[in-house]
Amino acid sequence: MGSGLDAGSLSVTVKDGKGALVSDAVVYVTSSTNSSRAAKQVVIDQRNKQFVPYVTAVQVGTSILFPNKDNIRHHVYSLSPAKRFELPLYEGIPAKPVLFDAEGFVTLGCNIHDWMIAYVAVLGTPYFQITAEDGRAVLKDLPAGQCTVEVWHPRLKGLPQNSAQHVDSVAGDAKELLFTLDLKPDFRVRRAPGLSNGGYP
Amino acid sequence: MKSRTSCSLTAIRTTWLILLLAMTLSAARADWRLEAETGALYESNLPNSDRGADEKDDFAWQSNLQAGNGFQLTRDLRLNLGADLGGQVWARYDAFNNVAPGGIAGLRYRFGLGPAAPWVLVEDHVAYAFFEEVDRSGLGNRFRVRSGFGIGDRIALEAAYTFDDFEAKDAFWDLGGHSGSIRLTFDVTSSLQVALGYSYRDGDVISYALPPRPDLVTLSSDREPVSSFGRPLYTAYRLRGSSNTISASLAYALGKYISVQASYEFRNTSSGPLEYGNHSVEAKVAFAY
Repeated sequence: MGSGLDAGSLSVTVKDGKGALVSDAVVYVTSSTNSSRAAKQVVIDQRNKQFVPYVTAVQVGTSILFPNKDNIRHHVYSLSPAKRFELPLYEGIPAKPVLFDAEGFVTLGCNIHDWMIAYVAVLGTPYFQITAEDGRAVLKDLPAGQCTVEVWHPRLKGLPQNSAQHVDSVAGDAKELLFTLDLKPDFRVRRAPGLSNGGYP
Repeated sequence: MKSRTSCSLTAIRTTWLILLLAMTLSAARADWRLEAETGALYESNLPNSDRGADEKDDFAWQSNLQAGNGFQLTRDLRLNLGADLGGQVWARYDAFNNVAPGGIAGLRYRFGLGPAAPWVLVEDHVAYAFFEEVDRSGLGNRFRVRSGFGIGDRIALEAAYTFDDFEAKDAFWDLGGHSGSIRLTFDVTSSLQVALGYSYRDGDVISYALPPRPDLVTLSSDREPVSSFGRPLYTAYRLRGSSNTISASLAYALGKYISVQASYEFRNTSSGPLEYGNHSVEAKVAFAY
């Protein structure tokens, strides 16, 4: 992480209200000694009419490229206040990446394939990880000192601040934290045949 | 009859002209979709009879296969083309067994981005139905204008106008009508979807009954004895009728590409003093890729 301060680590486990492990949760740490990473480019693919990955976390100021790896055209868009944009019908690699320049949580869609959806957490900190299938995320090289840990998930009810946990110091042995999130049901548009296809195909 | 035939031929020519035009577009822009469904259908009153004694129920196994291709012409405009093959096999009354190859063309305009944006779809479906009772075979054309929009993430409302026209080898079996429908779809859970619908149709219907039925003779424009329901022979009466239909459906997604669906429909049809009802129940497996 390159903070230049004493490094520490956190192991965070995320569960839902029923005790099930939660993947694709964004765990991020803010501290008074936050530092900036060198801006880099991140990639969100479109493969087999799906965004890959489903959840991406970036620091403010990061550019994201949206290569289309299908042999059909996609139309990527976001109506989220943190980043409104459109990449109209295209194939291959767009000429320019999209700069995510404001903090917030962004929902991506494809205007052609309504089931295609993905999320970008645009964070004001370089310290973040996304939970894996086992519901765990390990954050390393954190700056020493007090910090606040928050967790966001696409189906989170309420704000991440509501479940924030404060840690006095992450220096020394890895600390373990458990978050229990209140999640909304998953109402994503399904690819499986339903009762209304909205004129698709 | 000639003007109806001419109308149908025009629709067919238009449908296939659009199909040919679209095929000239870049193949890389094609967005193929394959859909298949198969399942059982129960019909409580296959003869559309108004007398309980004349009603006959039956089960059918029905399947449909459709290969569709979507061409996104502009951000908001999409041309959908498809070929399909449908079929029904009835357990007892095999006169109604049929197989119907067809084609569909549709143009959808969506007013904005995302699944909740309002949309309008104009589509035409043409299919030739080969019935086991050959005289019933013929060319069907269904022209439809559909429109819908989402109310939040979980509810979608849809309305449609449909003109249907079927021209059979034997003109007695010709059918045509106009209908309007509305449907509300609700996502109960992430996997379960429920829909409630209502439709009204005004058009030709055929009601069968054991003669003598002097009341139906006065109502009908034509009649014909049929062996479709065995002996004694029923008489088929051509009528002009109006139907009110309510329906409830549910779909449960089993995975990314497959769902199971069930639906119930009650249709009440009246033509002057004649009135009959049909209950139908359908259960099927649907696949889309």
